Amino acid sequence: MTEQITPNSNGQMPPGLQLEKVDDRIMTLNVGPQHPGSGHMRIIVKIDGDYIVNADPDPGYVHRGEEKMAEVRNYILNIPHLERPVIHDSCNILYPYVLGVEDLVGIEVSERAKYIRVIAAELNRCVYTQYWLAIYGIFLGHSTMFMWPAGDRELLIDLLEKMTGARVTHSYFVPGGVRNDVPPNFEEVCLRQVNYFEKRLKEYADIFYDNPILKARTEDTGVLSTHDAIRLGTTGSVLRASGVDFDIRKKEPYDVYEELDVHTNVLKDGDSYARSKIPWLDMLESCNIIRQALEKMPKSGSIRTKLKPNPKGGDEEVFRRVESGRGAAGMHIISKGQPQPYRLKISPGSFRNLIALPYLLKGEKLGNMPAVYWSLNYWPVEADR
Amino acid sequence: MSVIAPKFRLGYFLKAIIDNIFWVIILVTLIAIPAIQIVLFYMDLPVIEGELLTAFLAFTWLFDPTRQIPLIKSLINSDFFRIAAFPGFGFAALIAAGTIFVERKMLAKLQLRVGPFYCGKVEGLLQLAGDGLKLISKEIIIPAKADKPLFWVAPILFVGTAAAFVSLIPVAPGGWVVADLDVGLLAVFAVIGFFPIITILSAWSANSKFPFIGGIRALHQMVSFEIPLILSLLGVVILTGTLNLSEIVESQASFPWIIFMPIGAIVFFTAMLAELERIPFDLPEAESEIVAGWLTEFSGMMYGLVQLGSYVKLFAFAALFVTIFLGGWSGPIFWPPLDEQIITEGVPIPNFEGDPVLTINTPGLPLFDEDPNEWVQQKRGEIEFTSGQLFFSGTIWFILKTVAVIFFVLLPRGVFPRIRIDMLLHIGWYKLIGLAFVNIFIALGLLYAGVLGPEGFL
Amino acid sequence: MGTATGIIKALNSGVKHLAVKRFTLRYPEQKLKFVGDGYQFDPTTGVGIAGYKGRHMLFHDKCTGCQLCAIACEGVAEAIAMVKVPDTWKHNKKAIMPQIDYGKCVFCGLCVDACPFYALYMSNDYELSSFTKEGLIYTPSQLQVKPQVQQDSELIIDKRGARHG
Repeated sequence: MTEQITPNSNGQMPPGLQLEKVDDRIMTLNVGPQHPGSGHMRIIVKIDGDYIVNADPDPGYVHRGEEKMAEVRNYILNIPHLERPVIHDSCNILYPYVLGVEDLVGIEVSERAKYIRVIAAELNRCVYTQYWLAIYGIFLGHSTMFMWPAGDRELLIDLLEKMTGARVTHSYFVPGGVRNDVPPNFEEVCLRQVNYFEKRLKEYADIFYDNPILKARTEDTGVLSTHDAIRLGTTGSVLRASGVDFDIRKKEPYDVYEELDVHTNVLKDGDSYARSKIPWLDMLESCNIIRQALEKMPKSGSIRTKLKPNPKGGDEEVFRRVESGRGAAGMHIISKGQPQPYRLKISPGSFRNLIALPYLLKGEKLGNMPAVYWSLNYWPVEADR
Repeated sequence: MSVIAPKFRLGYFLKAIIDNIFWVIILVTLIAIPAIQIVLFYMDLPVIEGELLTAFLAFTWLFDPTRQIPLIKSLINSDFFRIAAFPGFGFAALIAAGTIFVERKMLAKLQLRVGPFYCGKVEGLLQLAGDGLKLISKEIIIPAKADKPLFWVAPILFVGTAAAFVSLIPVAPGGWVVADLDVGLLAVFAVIGFFPIITILSAWSANSKFPFIGGIRALHQMVSFEIPLILSLLGVVILTGTLNLSEIVESQASFPWIIFMPIGAIVFFTAMLAELERIPFDLPEAESEIVAGWLTEFSGMMYGLVQLGSYVKLFAFAALFVTIFLGGWSGPIFWPPLDEQIITEGVPIPNFEGDPVLTINTPGLPLFDEDPNEWVQQKRGEIEFTSGQLFFSGTIWFILKTVAVIFFVLLPRGVFPRIRIDMLLHIGWYKLIGLAFVNIFIALGLLYAGVLGPEGFL
Repeated sequence: MGTATGIIKALNSGVKHLAVKRFTLRYPEQKLKFVGDGYQFDPTTGVGIAGYKGRHMLFHDKCTGCQLCAIACEGVAEAIAMVKVPDTWKHNKKAIMPQIDYGKCVFCGLCVDACPFYALYMSNDYELSSFTKEGLIYTPSQLQVKPQVQQDSELIIDKRGARHG
């Protein structure tokens, strides 16, 4: 026997429930997980003709309980586990964990290992951003922009595979350094491929970024003002496209970023076009960083500081964060003197940016939805953990 | 793959062969032979050399080399050949298949990858056949609440209308067009106006949200680009004074119209891309917000038919562009290169007794007419060209020009993203109609200045 | 006319790329070449040697049956189990050796890091498919076989673009 729930005399519903009128004009579209335009996430969109009245993102389809599973493994065995949220960018999502554990255990890392870590992290950032750019192209219907980044990504994945032994999910960083040294003539191969990669990146300008149809499609859509960007708590390329000069590599430098010359790209418009251009400019910047790091790297040295057999920290907690492909990725570790962490919280960059989506989509045309949604640099797997 | 193939047993193999033979015999006896009898009963048999050509007589003559030629000639001049094979559906389907192959390989080269390369030993030539077989073997799923008669009939109507469009376009000199109408261009507009109706029918009868949005967008797009399409062709009509497509081609014997109407050509090209639903105008079809637009609920061979119709339509539009702006079949005659002696005396091919029997002016040689007085003469030079030479050369020029236009239609697919619906309507209603009117004013100016047209000096 | 120049430049860029060589690796006929022989770990220095993390290779004359690889894998993927082997070695009195289930292995290489006797390496072989799930469990004698790989295709970068040759 069902009981009808109606608003009380003040017009309020019981807590947690919302009254929704069914209107003839408004159609509910389920841009669901089985859709070529959404990734592993559902967006419930209510449209009135061609305009979006309300957009309700529904993440959580890929939740695997990573944080709980991390509590039963010790610090070293957590490494293949915690790099699975973003498989392409695995070094960057593992970086704050490794830095945090080094703080807990209290060891120093050698210079050569720090430079190798920086090179691997920048290569991973480029790999992830190319994949993101490929999907951005295909959302807008530009099939060449899907094939070119996906193909040029192979140049960098080839380098990563020579360095770490695996193309994705490298399991390369360990607390204390890296697991293995680079192969013998890695520096020249890396330099050659990174130079060619940069040349290919500049070709994207003619066909994509200066394309009048793309500009007409993405300019002045989904405008996020500077004030709103800071108030909603967005991070990464979304923040830098709205005029805020914030890059963790310069504000809280870790490893050897203080000795490298990093230039932050900032655009003032805050629309989808700016948000799609900033990662490309960041990739050109990463090529510079890799070249500088290859020059300044010490030619020999130890790459891994030996740890005691079962590393454990004291009764303390630590929080480190790092600039990954999507924004600030952070890791908060609480240890209580055991070889396993007591509680581990991953704070991914994509989840922080999701809050802007319903805010930006209200009042937009339906045709702009893929452009705005994917320009927020959202990776569903990382947000759900 | 978790199925392990069973071991080979001779008994099962023989049983399978006998089963197949049994079914073939039953189907042939009950269906094929009665159908052939009915067709032969109603078909008009031609009279060749004073004898009525029945089926048995035809088979007898097929084995006699001197008699084969009148048989083939009567076949080529029949209506059935024109509709099904040469300027009609068979020719269009062949070029459509070639277009699909070239499109995949050309886009792949542009995107720095290899297209299909596995199916068919040489660079994936048989990939289209593989895709066709796959589509035939899939189950056709109809949504439960869809309007079934309309839903089934929509792809067939689509292919039928595309074939009707192909039938209006002249391919070679000498009247090689399936339907030679005096108001040919008007009939083309009528057929083009039918496509939006089919689209909205199939979208509405699918009774689902994504096809609904896609169908409405397709309707908007096709209807709003018909007006610039028609207006841009009016310039050429003004200057030639006729709506008959064969005469329009013949008026371009010395120069193609694109030299005088470049704006009209660009407007027609853009409107053509929009009517064909090609990128950058493919909103109704392949979106990332509305799964596949009005094609979402089609599966199996229905989808295959719609794709076939779409590429046949592409050939038809490109052929129309070539006919009106680029000169159809005109071009220097270069093939087959025959000299005088062959024309007057002929190529001696002996029959059984050793007498030479075959010359170019043999009555009944297919494609080469009987009476030398009826041979069409070309304006430049004093060489007489046989109608056969004109035919072959004209066809080759037509195919070359169509292929060039199709290349330019395929190229934006690799270079541009998709456009949005409000920008599309803005272009269709404001910009293109304005440019089409500018084109008409240029045409009127050229006409009244006495440069072109019926009284002009060109 | 900014729009028109933009369109023409985009088309121009597209046509220019028709002359660049294709990048694809035609997989079954061409296979990529890797540096070295596979990932190895040196327990005395505690540092790995760079290489591809493919199928494992077990050296029967060094393995002592200490189970450290199985213990390491328990926390990651539980893909290593110790089984009894029929041959007796002087240094392996318990006569047990690891068998690896490639249906569960994630190829992280932590078992190679854990082995203190130079007995477990990884090789360049990555073509491990089979028709049954039981076929994916490699016994110690199967792990002993050195893989026959014919990988010789490399990335070439020259004036006409990059390609796999």
